[in-house]
Amino acid sequence: MRAMPSILSACAGLLLACAVPALAEGIPPAYSPVVILPSGDPARTEFDLTAVADRAKRENRRLYVYLGAKDCAYCRKYESFLEQNAKELVPQFSGHNYIVVDLRSALSVTQDRLFIRVGDSSRSYVDFQKAIGDARARMLVYPLVWLFDGNLKPLMQMPAGTGTFQSVPEQLEILQLVE
Amino acid sequence: MRMTKRAGGVVLAAFCWMATAAWTANEAETPRGLPSGVDHAASSPQWETIRAKLFQDRRIDTASGKVQLTVPLRAPFGAAVPVKITSGLPQAPGLYVRRMYIVIDKNPSALAAVLDLTPEVGQADFETRLRVDEYGHIRVISELSNGELHMASRYVKVSGGCTQPPNRDQLHNIGKTVFRLPEGVRMEAPTPAEVQVIHPNDTGFELNQITVMYIPPHFVRSIKVSYADRKVFEADVDFSISENPSFRFNFVPHGAGELRAEVEDSKEQRFTGRLAVLP
Repeated sequence: MRAMPSILSACAGLLLACAVPALAEGIPPAYSPVVILPSGDPARTEFDLTAVADRAKRENRRLYVYLGAKDCAYCRKYESFLEQNAKELVPQFSGHNYIVVDLRSALSVTQDRLFIRVGDSSRSYVDFQKAIGDARARMLVYPLVWLFDGNLKPLMQMPAGTGTFQSVPEQLEILQLVE
Repeated sequence: MRMTKRAGGVVLAAFCWMATAAWTANEAETPRGLPSGVDHAASSPQWETIRAKLFQDRRIDTASGKVQLTVPLRAPFGAAVPVKITSGLPQAPGLYVRRMYIVIDKNPSALAAVLDLTPEVGQADFETRLRVDEYGHIRVISELSNGELHMASRYVKVSGGCTQPPNRDQLHNIGKTVFRLPEGVRMEAPTPAEVQVIHPNDTGFELNQITVMYIPPHFVRSIKVSYADRKVFEADVDFSISENPSFRFNFVPHGAGELRAEVEDSKEQRFTGRLAVLP
């Protein structure tokens, strides 16, 4: 009888382990992402792109900026896709001269609460998207990917979400800026 | 023409559904299940069915360049895919684009629009936004006044356009029809204009996230544009046109007049938009 609690606890642990697969959050380490955590309070969650933009400019590289949410199933799917295909894709990301940037947000950070800072300028999601001419200004959908040059000029209009490039050939189309 | 499209719509939808079922079984796919048939000029079973219904065995020229289609491979949102149609010939009374058909191969309603044009358009270039439900081709077929058919097509990678709930943020303005002249007025020359109807253009496939009920279909069926009482174009449309349907087009003003749009939706509600044009 004394063994019962430990057996129960072991079973519970096993069930939990089955129910919650060990999915790491964010871009897999194989891509050497620059992880940027937000600052501010929940009503004003700000990501600062100043340092990565400076680095991209200095090194004459492009930016692959990924905005994921910790509680977003579609983000986990995309990250898992990257993980599973890292052997093929990591050389392609570097071959196309991208610095991968991982902005870690949450679904509760809606478009009115999300701010992007570049230097002295901090803009709301909508204003930032409008300023760079991105048609996704009308709605924030997680996950979101931007492709920038060192001046934070978009290299291509990207789709909402990542569902249309979750295969290796299609991810390559994105890296190669196929429109 | 409107009767033709309406009567044909149900038949086309049924044919398309059957064609889709057959295509799914045969289509070459990548290991991850994504279609590999991404050639912009390729055909599809759905297109073959639609082509037979609309054009029978008439020849369609796909290499003349008399019509061009600009669509991004991946649009930001499937419910609003920007489409630009450019004609390679001026809209002269002797030879002009008489009709344009916009087809989205894999949409539940594949024939998105039929535009009936006159020489008053001046230059048969159009821009609009489409709902695209799954990876597939968008096509535009130009029918010239001499009966020739010319086609341009693009493969696009977007999905969910017919099921994404619309913003529905302007229901109080439903039917409001507005004209804009983004580049001013050019007398006796093709003048760009935009007409937009505030309307949810509900497809019937959108789920209300609160009631978990499907939103009943309610969409614009036709937009008839005239200038100084002369027909410019008539668009026979349906829910494959995005929420708040809009068209950018040209017209040739010969003097002061009124741009006028007569709009009718699937509930037989009628709306009118007007804009006075001065030299």
